[in-house]
Amino acid sequence: MTGYIIKRIIVAILTLLVIMTVTFLLMNAIPGSPFLTEKSTPEMIARANAKYGLDKPLYVQLWNYIKSYLKGDLGTSLKMQEGTPVSTIIFHQGKFELSLKLGLYALLLAVVLGIPLGCIAAYNRGTWIDGFLRVVTTVGVAIPTFVLATLLLVTFAVKLQWLPTVSGSLTTWKAYVMPVISLSFYYLCYVAKLTRTSMLDAINQDYIRTARAKGVKTRSVILKHALRNSLIPVITYLGPVMAGIITGSFVVESTFSIPGLGKYFVQSVLNRDYPVIMATTVVLSALVIIMNLVVDIAYKIVDPRITLTSKEA
Amino acid sequence: MDGKFAKISPFQVDPDKIPQNFDLNEEDFMPAEEAEKASMVEKHKSVSYWKDAWRRFRKNTVSMVALAIFLVCLLFAFLGPKLIPYSYGDQYRSSQKLGPMEYSENEQTALSIADSCDGFFATSLQPGSMNAIKKGDYYVQHGGKTYAFTLKKAVEKSILILKADAEPALFVVKEKDIKDGQYEKIQELELTDTPVEGAKEIKLVKTVFPHVFGTDSAGRDIMARTMYGARVSILIGIVAALIVLVIGSIYGAISGLAGGAVDFVMMRIVELIYSIPEVLIVLLLQVVLKDPLQAWFDSGTSAFAQAMGDLGSGIVSIFITFALLYWVTMARIVRGQVLQLKKQEYVTAATALGASNGRIIRRHLLPNCVGALVITTCLQIPSAIFLESFLSFLGLGVSAPMASLGSLCSDALETISLYPYRLVFPGVILTVIVLTLNLVGDGLRDALDPRLKK
Repeated sequence: MTGYIIKRIIVAILTLLVIMTVTFLLMNAIPGSPFLTEKSTPEMIARANAKYGLDKPLYVQLWNYIKSYLKGDLGTSLKMQEGTPVSTIIFHQGKFELSLKLGLYALLLAVVLGIPLGCIAAYNRGTWIDGFLRVVTTVGVAIPTFVLATLLLVTFAVKLQWLPTVSGSLTTWKAYVMPVISLSFYYLCYVAKLTRTSMLDAINQDYIRTARAKGVKTRSVILKHALRNSLIPVITYLGPVMAGIITGSFVVESTFSIPGLGKYFVQSVLNRDYPVIMATTVVLSALVIIMNLVVDIAYKIVDPRITLTSKEA
Repeated sequence: MDGKFAKISPFQVDPDKIPQNFDLNEEDFMPAEEAEKASMVEKHKSVSYWKDAWRRFRKNTVSMVALAIFLVCLLFAFLGPKLIPYSYGDQYRSSQKLGPMEYSENEQTALSIADSCDGFFATSLQPGSMNAIKKGDYYVQHGGKTYAFTLKKAVEKSILILKADAEPALFVVKEKDIKDGQYEKIQELELTDTPVEGAKEIKLVKTVFPHVFGTDSAGRDIMARTMYGARVSILIGIVAALIVLVIGSIYGAISGLAGGAVDFVMMRIVELIYSIPEVLIVLLLQVVLKDPLQAWFDSGTSAFAQAMGDLGSGIVSIFITFALLYWVTMARIVRGQVLQLKKQEYVTAATALGASNGRIIRRHLLPNCVGALVITTCLQIPSAIFLESFLSFLGLGVSAPMASLGSLCSDALETISLYPYRLVFPGVILTVIVLTLNLVGDGLRDALDPRLKK
């Protein structure tokens, strides 16, 4: 187990290095310079390039990034908030916090609501409850986040005026409602579908019949025996969910005007603010990678039969 | 006992010839004739894989309904533009910001003219072109009276010509009189009421057709744009899925067949790509590729570059993104299938019988993989449509005047509080397409994967 975790951490660091390299090459391939404005002369650009070390060969620049990241230094912004350390921009201006909060609430909603709904559907298989949930979840995985988000916005903020149109920095609970729902709805539906399927699989197993034959209460059978075994595919899915929620946050943050990291990333790409692009990519990627790692370990705890070292089998 | 014998026998035996004792007829033990053999074969006709799958798919009501709705969407996207008189890019003056099913003022005039005109030009053809004219397509105002064209009492093969000299005038020419674009004999326009000689003005109004989904702020018909956008989205989905299919299956097959160190390295690469949060890279790629692609389109003289240029850099970079990042799932599935199938007894048997690698791939691996390939490709289409709409929504995918369902939703967002239906129509179509494709994919999985057979 320890060996496995160490191995996974090494792979995670390697992945981050690859992501850094790819991001570095891509952002250098964006045409134009971050210092190019209407007034700038070639000399000014050259001076600015020299100041920030952008005149050095690419591999030196990349190496500098890696070196400073190892020291925990994310560099300073070139353009959007010139001179401000990127770590301050990301962590101390509430951007990361906002995105993280939004993402975690969405994840929580998907799990806390999705799993019970899946159980209810499986338990009431074939009844109208199951039918209704199936229709909702099937439609739910087909609605793009932005369509749902804008429809919610029109209905509840513009027409009914129950909720604010601009969620801003998420200061009230009302501001959370629509962003969290639109961010998590797809995953909520997917988790419910997944739970239903694996629950039905589990219910037909011999040990469930044995438990029932022994006279264990239905509730107990569902919660103790069936649920625990049917959670494995759901847990596996949580890694991709995290990546997806980050993706969704780009849309949700721009729809509801939330100044989060997703929105900032899109802006930094358009502004060619290299250190910000790099830092945001690395932070978000690290989040996804750590999540995947946690999921894989949780996977092992839920089902000791799974041998992590031979994943290929 | 004799009766039973007759029933069991696969051969058609004349009841009169059934032996009443055990003096067996020697003829009954003769080798079967060709006709008899053929009838045996007929009785046990095998059901092909696809037929079997289709039979199972047909029984799946949900998938069949989804397939039907998807086909309707296809008709909407591909046939629809031919049926409505508006095009996705044209801006119709005085028709800005119309609600669903509304007519602009011009169109309302035209509508009333078609209903209550003073007379009809009898013609079957349109000025200058060889296209037939439809009732109410155009009308002429002359001498305080308004005349509409009609197909009724059509003059046989005549062409209307608008002479745009100092004094514009309308003439009608018989088609047989036109030679090399020049007409010789000018005839008076055949008019049911008054002659039209010296007509001052010809007002051309398109066929009066309601803007079913309304129009946008620039006066473009939203239904035409939605049809066009649906077509773009569906095509992007299909092409991206095919790209993924080709790259993923080749990569996966090589990895699975080669095994050993090659497999190990190839799978580590897959794992690496898999763990990259691709949307971050996709966003970067979209920005990076935009200008170089445009430069390539502009400089490109080859047919390929021109064809790509017609698509625009947004769409091409979506394809590139899929080719770079999204094939990994397919590669994993194909590799898994190949690994599983490689160990099957029938493959061992085929190897033992001396079958070549090519034959094993063709006869054993491919037919057994094909189900998984079809399912994954089918389910890849909606996910590609999703990604494209996501990018277009962020303003990175297709660019105006082109449209995709995602960019239409994005355009609608600006005026969402005033004109919510502008988002609803493309949004609903997008959802319906993705939903039906998902359901068809599920149905295909049930139908094509015999391991799930109950």
